[in-house]
Amino acid sequence: MKARNIFLKFGIAILVLGLIFCFPGMSFAKTIRVGGLMDMSGATSDVGKDYALGMAEAFQYINAHGGVNGKKIKYTYFDYGYRIPEALTKYTLLKRLHSIAIEGWGTGDTEALSPTITRDKIPYVSASYSAHLTNPKKTPYNLFFASDYSTNARACLTAWYDKIWPTKKDYGKRKPRFACCYMFASPYCSAPIKAIKDQAKLLGFEIGPDQNVSLFALDTKSQILALKKFKPDVVWHGNTVMSVAATLRDAYELNLGADWIINNWGFGENLPKLAGKAAEGAIGATPCAFFGQKSDHMDDVVASAKKYDPGVPLSKRTIRTVQAWGDAMILWEAMKRADKAGDLTGEGILKKGFETFRNFHIGLGASDVTYTATDHRPAPGCMIQQYKNGKFQRLEYVNLKKRWPNKWEKEWLGW
Amino acid sequence: MSKKRSPIKAALTVLIGILFLAGMVGCATTQGAGTAAKVSKIEPPQVKLVDVQLAHYWGWWYFSKKIKPLKGTPGNYGAPMDLSFVFEITNPNPFPVQLDGFRFTVSFDNFDVNTLNAYETQWIPAGKTNQLAVHGMFDARTTLLSLLVTGGFKLKAKHLNVWQQLEKWWKGIATFSFPITVHGGAATFHAGGKSVVVSFNGKFPK
Repeated sequence: MKARNIFLKFGIAILVLGLIFCFPGMSFAKTIRVGGLMDMSGATSDVGKDYALGMAEAFQYINAHGGVNGKKIKYTYFDYGYRIPEALTKYTLLKRLHSIAIEGWGTGDTEALSPTITRDKIPYVSASYSAHLTNPKKTPYNLFFASDYSTNARACLTAWYDKIWPTKKDYGKRKPRFACCYMFASPYCSAPIKAIKDQAKLLGFEIGPDQNVSLFALDTKSQILALKKFKPDVVWHGNTVMSVAATLRDAYELNLGADWIINNWGFGENLPKLAGKAAEGAIGATPCAFFGQKSDHMDDVVASAKKYDPGVPLSKRTIRTVQAWGDAMILWEAMKRADKAGDLTGEGILKKGFETFRNFHIGLGASDVTYTATDHRPAPGCMIQQYKNGKFQRLEYVNLKKRWPNKWEKEWLGW
Repeated sequence: MSKKRSPIKAALTVLIGILFLAGMVGCATTQGAGTAAKVSKIEPPQVKLVDVQLAHYWGWWYFSKKIKPLKGTPGNYGAPMDLSFVFEITNPNPFPVQLDGFRFTVSFDNFDVNTLNAYETQWIPAGKTNQLAVHGMFDARTTLLSLLVTGGFKLKAKHLNVWQQLEKWWKGIATFSFPITVHGGAATFHAGGKSVVVSFNGKFPK
């Protein structure tokens, strides 16, 4: 009897000690997994590496700030080298690891995965802002925080038409001339071409022949010489930074004399570093602020870069980090909302999270974000900036929805 | 006369036994967190690149998509090369720390060619050194594209031919005839609700 009493007291004591000293060390009640598919080694690693670092830092920040209502996020990401077959296999792995949402990368793989993620009901927040991913009737589980490529392209051309064309000597005397440079075979580069040509027609441009510029081009003289025959006033470049810089350098050397409007992945801090003087005057779509540029929550982005990747100099960080944060912030908010509603599932994150956003303010110089059950275009327009006198300056915020409400509602969704 | 044991008391004894075991298991499985809960600061562990190993190797070759393969789909295919980066991680603390996040960039001849990460977690005992091998798969096609977009202008400025550069690396790797550097490394450690991030760099051969 006495022995049993001692055993009883000892057992209770051990249990209490176990509960008090052991479990409180684990500060999160539960861990949830979010997957990531990044390009840190492949054809878009010039912009992909910084994005991948920014994404990892954003999730470290999120966990340090309570995770998803107390649930820790295990962010598990893989490099897929911009190879679509590998993106598909890595997606399968992330699904097997019970990822409840995925942060993705390129247009080719995101569009290829879209039917699968729709079937699996896994929200997929991509760095591809292809407008093809914005119609929830076709791609309900594809999301991103930024204005889509088609909106960027339309906004860039409109800003040039509003602000630059009136300063030219031929203004009012003839139609402005417009052409496009991009890699024809790249889904990212070709995604907004139909939209920007539609916008050019709408604004009354004369449209010249497209020029095929590889993402890996170091020499684009033949394309520039072809453009010289058409004498464009403005040229759209739809590639990433390195080949955009190569084209601008050749255009400068060969005195093309046209202005450049550039999609967001071709316009960043590295452009003037690579293109030098040829970058002066370049105009681009900036769906968020540059790294360190004054905006809400930018301090968190910069502090996290310093804290979580202390070996990477801040001078090497770019707008790609900020873009990653934009995508991380919307997923965080959607997961918190779904969790509060008691439905932290793929479908819950979409319906009770993302699709409840109405002008959700993420800061970072980005437009406030709205998603509805019928329209996943996050923003009605885009901030257009110009590289002038050695720095990036705001040129105009073009709000397409406000300016062409009927076309925005009835014509432009999904392309 | 033997005393008959009450069924309630017997059940209570079994229950206490289970609770005792649960308490013990609770302590054992959360050992690191529990121990670390008593500390106020984590001394940064040391991360050192000790070796780079050629884990798998297929020599040097490249086929363009113009070549018809015997089987499968034509494409631009380059020789793969699997490198294993071996690190020693020393925990100077009197309690275990958990490694949770490990990433670094790899350069060949000062050209960035890959950024690797390991997401698996591991506990490093107090005062001990663990080893971590992170594999990186490089293939000549992907490295070609990466090199062009990240180092294209640098190659041009140095009058280097991209194909000669790739061949030099793919052949030279057998004897490690060129410098491989690891830089911008970040390793995240947790213990008792606290975290510390350690930056690291390394070079091979030394």
